Amino acid sequence: MEILAYILISTGLIFFLGTTIGLLRFPDFYSRMHAAGKGDTLSTVVILLGCICIVSTQGGMNWLLGLKILLIINFIFIGSPTATHAMMDAGKKAGAEPWRKDSK
Amino acid sequence: MPSLPIWEFDVLLLVLVVLFALISLSIRNLMGAAIVFGAYSFMMCLIWAGMGAVDVAFTEAAVGAGVSTVFIVSTIYNTSATMQNKPGGLTFKLFIGLVVTLTGAFLLSALPDFPEWGDSESPANAVVAPYYIKNTITDAHVPNVVTSVLADYRGFDTLLETTVVFIACIAIYSILRTETAKSKTDEPEEEIAVLPSYDPSDSLIVRQASRFMIPFMQLFALYVIAHGHYSPGGGFQGGVILGASLILLAISFDLKFLLGHWSEKSLMLLVASGVFLYAAVGLACVFMGGNYLDYVVLDPILPGKGDMARSHGILLVEIGVGITVMFSMVAIHINLASNGRFDRGL
Repeated sequence: MEILAYILISTGLIFFLGTTIGLLRFPDFYSRMHAAGKGDTLSTVVILLGCICIVSTQGGMNWLLGLKILLIINFIFIGSPTATHAMMDAGKKAGAEPWRKDSK
Repeated sequence: MPSLPIWEFDVLLLVLVVLFALISLSIRNLMGAAIVFGAYSFMMCLIWAGMGAVDVAFTEAAVGAGVSTVFIVSTIYNTSATMQNKPGGLTFKLFIGLVVTLTGAFLLSALPDFPEWGDSESPANAVVAPYYIKNTITDAHVPNVVTSVLADYRGFDTLLETTVVFIACIAIYSILRTETAKSKTDEPEEEIAVLPSYDPSDSLIVRQASRFMIPFMQLFALYVIAHGHYSPGGGFQGGVILGASLILLAISFDLKFLLGHWSEKSLMLLVASGVFLYAAVGLACVFMGGNYLDYVVLDPILPGKGDMARSHGILLVEIGVGITVMFSMVAIHINLASNGRFDRGL
């Protein structure tokens, strides 16, 4: 179970790395938000799943802690994409131009 | 919760705090500065948590990183996002430098009078703190010492803190809300329409997600207020989270939608009633024959037997704090977001 947890957490870190690279390297606002929103949510969820694997096998009442982390995952899964969507929406209203192949 | 002494983590956090403070001072775009300031508050929150001051960390996360960022952003929204200060002349700069240096020198000169950090012989640590830690269970039946100090041993301070929040709300109200009479005579139909009239171009996704999240936020906030005796939290933190849930409602829907549920008059009445509840609990103690805010004498009129009275008194007071803080936050946000006109928000 612990090995599974380490695998999950490492996967999450790799996704975080991808998110950061995407955030720095993509050409315009929308593709950056795309990288940030998707990668951030997935990697947080995966890391928290790893935390559940560690915590809930420690016996006693610790399964309750795992349940609480599951609830946190639920809220991140809803809240984070919504925030990304709201930022995209605000960017569109503020007139951010999407990147095209022929734009400089 | 015993925190492991990972000093590298503390050093990293301190460096980040200083860095964020410098960035938010030097950024020319005020919106960016506000965001960096939120990040700064969040780092401070982590530092408090690392020092074991979980209650303070809670407040910093809710107020510093959460609500105050919203306040700053809505203020910028109604003013201007770029700094427009004209740099003064050399004399002016010299004068400012002199004032800052002198103040700093005076503050530093007072430094040797402080006890050593963490000195167990200093008056605060040798006399008062051990008394609180030893006697909080027998006195007040409250395991969380912070809560018993806040609302019982030092109840006067908290009463005045709550009053400060109340006064801040009143001050912002009286500065910004100046067009009540005018707008009522000018366009009466607009004022009556309190039904949800949000902009249909606003996002359905944001509205639905908020609709899903807000009940959970409020449930958690009630838990924070009611469970403040046993875990980090209390009236201030819970009140801020409750206020934040209503602010989220106002942002994702519309100010009118919020005002349709909580009218302006009821908001202000509730802001005042929280402070009133706190003061009334104190007065009730006087009428029952004790000192002001001496909850022991409330025993006959509170449930639970024997010396649970202080615990229940703390809960009553915390509810008062929660009500005041919650509706102060909402009233301040409404005023800042609509520039006192109450017609449209962010």
